[in-house]
Amino acid sequence: MPPKGKKGGGAGDKSKTGEEERPEPLQAVILADPFKTRFSPFTLERPRCLLPVANTPLIEYTFEFLANAGVEEVFVYSGAHTDQVEEYILQSKWSTSSASSPFSKLEIIRSSSRSIGDAMRDLDKRAMLVGDFLIVYGDVVSNLPLEPALAAHRARRAADKNTIMTMVLREAGQTHRTKAQEASPVFVIDPTKNRCLHYEQMHARQSNHFVKIDPDLLSSHQELEIRQDLIDCGIDICTPDVLALWSDNFDFEAPRKGFLHSVLKDYELNGKTIHTHIVNDHYAARVRNLRAYDAVSRDIISRWAYPLCPDSNLLKGQTYRLQKGNVYKENDVILARSCVINRRSVIGAKTSIGDGSTISNSVVGRQCIIGRNVTIDGAYIWDSAVIGDGSTVTKAIVASEAAVGRKCIVEPGALIGEGVRIADGVTVPGTSRITRAKRKRGAEDYFGRDEPDVRLVGQGGDGYEFIGSDEEDEEGVEGLTSNGLSLFYNMQNLALSTESISTLNSEDELSEDRVAHHDRSAAGSFISIASDDSHASQHAGDFHHDAAASIFDSLQKGDEWENIQLELTALRMSTNASEHQLRRAVVAAFMKRIAQVVEAGTPAKAAVDEVLKGYGELVKKTMFDDGDRVDFLLLMQTDLAHRKEGANVLLYMCMELYRLDVMSAEVFERWWEDPKGMEGGEMEGVRGKTQQFIDFLKEESEEESEDEDEEDDEEDEDGD
Amino acid sequence: MAANVTPGLTPFLKSLKATPVESSIEHFISLLKRRQIRNSRPCAIATTQLLLRVVAEFKGRDVNKLLQRIRHVGQRLTAAQPREMAVGNIVRRVLGLIREVAEDDDADTSMSDAGFNSPSPANDGPHHDSLKRPALSSSISTFSPLRHGATLPAEPTGLHHSESSAGTESTEPHHRPNLFTSHTSYAPMHGSLLNIFQHGEFPGSSASTPPGYHSPTGKATPLMSQSFANLADSGPKKEKDLKAEVVEGIRELLDELDQVDDQIAAYALDHIHSNEIILTHTASTTVQKFLLTAARKRKFTVVHAEAYPNDSDDTHATVLDGRKTAGEADADADERFKPLTAAGITVILIPDSAVFAIMSRVNKVILATHTVLANGGLVAAAGARTIAKAAKMHQTPVVVVSGVYKLSPVYPFDVEELIEYGDAGKVADYDDGDFVDKVDVVNPLYDYVPADLVDLYITNLGGHAPSYLYRIVADHYRVEDINL
Repeated sequence: MPPKGKKGGGAGDKSKTGEEERPEPLQAVILADPFKTRFSPFTLERPRCLLPVANTPLIEYTFEFLANAGVEEVFVYSGAHTDQVEEYILQSKWSTSSASSPFSKLEIIRSSSRSIGDAMRDLDKRAMLVGDFLIVYGDVVSNLPLEPALAAHRARRAADKNTIMTMVLREAGQTHRTKAQEASPVFVIDPTKNRCLHYEQMHARQSNHFVKIDPDLLSSHQELEIRQDLIDCGIDICTPDVLALWSDNFDFEAPRKGFLHSVLKDYELNGKTIHTHIVNDHYAARVRNLRAYDAVSRDIISRWAYPLCPDSNLLKGQTYRLQKGNVYKENDVILARSCVINRRSVIGAKTSIGDGSTISNSVVGRQCIIGRNVTIDGAYIWDSAVIGDGSTVTKAIVASEAAVGRKCIVEPGALIGEGVRIADGVTVPGTSRITRAKRKRGAEDYFGRDEPDVRLVGQGGDGYEFIGSDEEDEEGVEGLTSNGLSLFYNMQNLALSTESISTLNSEDELSEDRVAHHDRSAAGSFISIASDDSHASQHAGDFHHDAAASIFDSLQKGDEWENIQLELTALRMSTNASEHQLRRAVVAAFMKRIAQVVEAGTPAKAAVDEVLKGYGELVKKTMFDDGDRVDFLLLMQTDLAHRKEGANVLLYMCMELYRLDVMSAEVFERWWEDPKGMEGGEMEGVRGKTQQFIDFLKEESEEESEDEDEEDDEEDEDGD
Repeated sequence: MAANVTPGLTPFLKSLKATPVESSIEHFISLLKRRQIRNSRPCAIATTQLLLRVVAEFKGRDVNKLLQRIRHVGQRLTAAQPREMAVGNIVRRVLGLIREVAEDDDADTSMSDAGFNSPSPANDGPHHDSLKRPALSSSISTFSPLRHGATLPAEPTGLHHSESSAGTESTEPHHRPNLFTSHTSYAPMHGSLLNIFQHGEFPGSSASTPPGYHSPTGKATPLMSQSFANLADSGPKKEKDLKAEVVEGIRELLDELDQVDDQIAAYALDHIHSNEIILTHTASTTVQKFLLTAARKRKFTVVHAEAYPNDSDDTHATVLDGRKTAGEADADADERFKPLTAAGITVILIPDSAVFAIMSRVNKVILATHTVLANGGLVAAAGARTIAKAAKMHQTPVVVVSGVYKLSPVYPFDVEELIEYGDAGKVADYDDGDFVDKVDVVNPLYDYVPADLVDLYITNLGGHAPSYLYRIVADHYRVEDINL
């Protein structure tokens, strides 16, 4: 019996590891907001971690998992809808003011982070994490006892200070509904030490299924396992070193594809090792997209996640009871005599189901009204929804307070958002995502709504097709059905929608894309390449990292600029990277080097001089026209916006570039007026000190023109 | 709580002292929900300790309020995990205990009332009293079956002793409880400790009980002295003692839980004979101790069904080195015992599927249980019913060993409700994606074994026929408390 084993293990381990090693409490960070919008349109109005899975908010499962693991201090990192998350947590049993909380500390951190990388660096700054800690997402559902993993981690750590992280992975076969379907992680592991040596993501649509392994790995390790059969449930046991590494590498944004991949690659450089803890029993999964939502819900109902199942009544006031065939019913469910509840269904309290209705494989929330002769199969109906007589709902999600009229047909894959009303007799196609929330994300007033789309919801309905308001949103919707899935992947966004596992990586590409938007030809071609062959996009991601690292090394060593240039060109050619990418890498490397020198105590001006000396040509060679130069400056500004002394460095960089004749005054002016450079507080802030330089340039150019005028005059005079 | 401990019984018990009662209750509820405390014994121990705290923290003297409070806590606990019947059982026992103490007090004061106020015979006393306090019918308490069983085991119904009986006989309505009381007296009820206070409270009855008297538990003696001590400072202090007495009673309960296995094991030699072949199932500590005790004197063969999938690891560990892979063995070190093989017993491990085939050679089946129900049926680890049924086919006697604390007054109207379904991943590997997707996997943790498949129950009170269990239920639980 597993919990028994857990308990015993716990008691035993406590007496050994607990006392000998560290008295510190076990801490955990929940990334409640994975900076993704895969659950749109539902996440427009509700944070993802509060979406109900089998009628229990997602974050409850995460808390259960942490409580199970004996975690004592919890930090919840939340981005969007922080207020709702905070309100929910404060009222839940987990809040430290509640008597039942197993945690001694529960803190909600508000942040403006835009990626997991930012969140990590922010955490590092706050220095709240003292010992080893857990990082989990706010969507983990697991009954895994962490004790063995923690013990193994500590043992390794005691032996070698450089083991910084242990990833907990669950074995699963080749095809598994709970595994990530479209981008599967590939782990290269040394089974003798459980060390992870290499990490890559492989895409289902990728043309070639190759993993590139450094030949050194083959020679230096007796055994290698290359595994693709693992569910990466995002549970990491980290040491504070991990945060430091995040801080050092400002360009990491995603924990797997960015951080993990790079740290493993740079093993030679930093000497840090990352290990895996592979389990083959218990349940662990992440609700990372709608497909996983479906899979995890079914796992919970089929009791694979026991004891995390509806009849455990995790929430106060729940009264689920299990009946034959995995049917869970709360008290006060009103069932008509002739209705049929088939296997694997969950029905919440105060829901009424009319005559002749059939419910199978579905979750129905509380206070729902299901009419007569309704057929619901494989659907998720959230609280207080209404389904009219004679309707059919198949493999769809109907969110809270939504109403589906009579004789409607909701086709597989349809998503009906909160409060949407579908008029009688409408057929909702499987590709539609209907919402009632304002189109713009982040708008204060969610209740203000646009005109309903009558074509979609029928006369008297309310709601309209959800259109991703920015690139991020396109990514999200992986349908509940596998055929629906392909529909959602429309071609135009192939490059963006591929990364599903690692939230960070797609973020990486996105931010990149955001910057690249104004960059005409180069960025454009990059995107098109990526969509033709998503493999290339992966290489492109690698390119940035490789290039930045190699330039940085060279700068440190003081190599000849020609050599660097040669190396870069080769790298660029081999990975098909764009000019823009190249510049980005160059900027990143130079800025990092400067930051390093500045940190060593050199004043900003001297640092800039020192680093740039001899490399003016290199910088020059990365751009060919003024557009490129503006792009360069923008990249520089973006990069410096996050750095210490950024404003000073920017000023001196500009002066130096001007002095070296890399940039002309016009370029500076164009850059200065570029709206991209004025977005957001940080971007504004970093410009501040450069104002004087720009003013100086302007004056100078005026003087020049005056001079020219004078000269002209003189000539004129001469001519006379 | 110490750092980084997986929650469970031991950390819970440790944390109990330091944390406020209310959070302990909540903590226990979540542990129950998460199945971090599971199975009858840990649940019973945790519940008892928790209630001990609840009583100790209780402010005020009003018995009814205390009853209400315990009942309320009990409701929450049982709602958290209705299938762990031991929790409800313990709550009911404690409730009964409080009633007992309170009513005793009551009877006592009424007696002194009678003594002071009216020179009339004692008959009027209880009557008068019951008029004053209709809620607490004192005669029930004085005529508690337990009391009779303990003090005068062979006493026929009519033979009441002194003060209390005189009172009751005069008032017919109060006499009613006698009906079942009288039956009890035939029961070997020595083990019950609940009634001991009464001896203390009644000068007459305590005198009639020889101080050297002790129940098979051997636990009565310190209690007796305790109750005599109570006796010494009677009078106005009485009411104050209520809490102390209840606390003392709960401690008794804890002792009972502690010793229950040894008490049961004491009957082993009566039931296991030389050269028998005994079939058992699951890694129950109770059964292991039972067999070990027998093994000291006799040689026999044990056939052990492995109880796959839920209990098989523990079973293997028990067969191999006498301790479960985890659980209680770690909880308290003295739980560890030698494996049967070390005592020179041949142990044969068989898969559950071979039970029927081997049954023809088996002399006796010994089953452990999760819960025993009032109708004589039981809820035991999955596979128990197959074994019981096979035993029935072959006319092999089925003996169930179980502490009284597992005995529940609940009547199984809906058998399905009693059975918990566990982790499907134990049956089929979760790794197999196709399987998970396409097949419904059901893993019941328990089986319901109807009463007619069981021949004998051995509790810490001795052996009973299944049909007799309702009587023990009546002895241990108050009718008022059966529905929490």
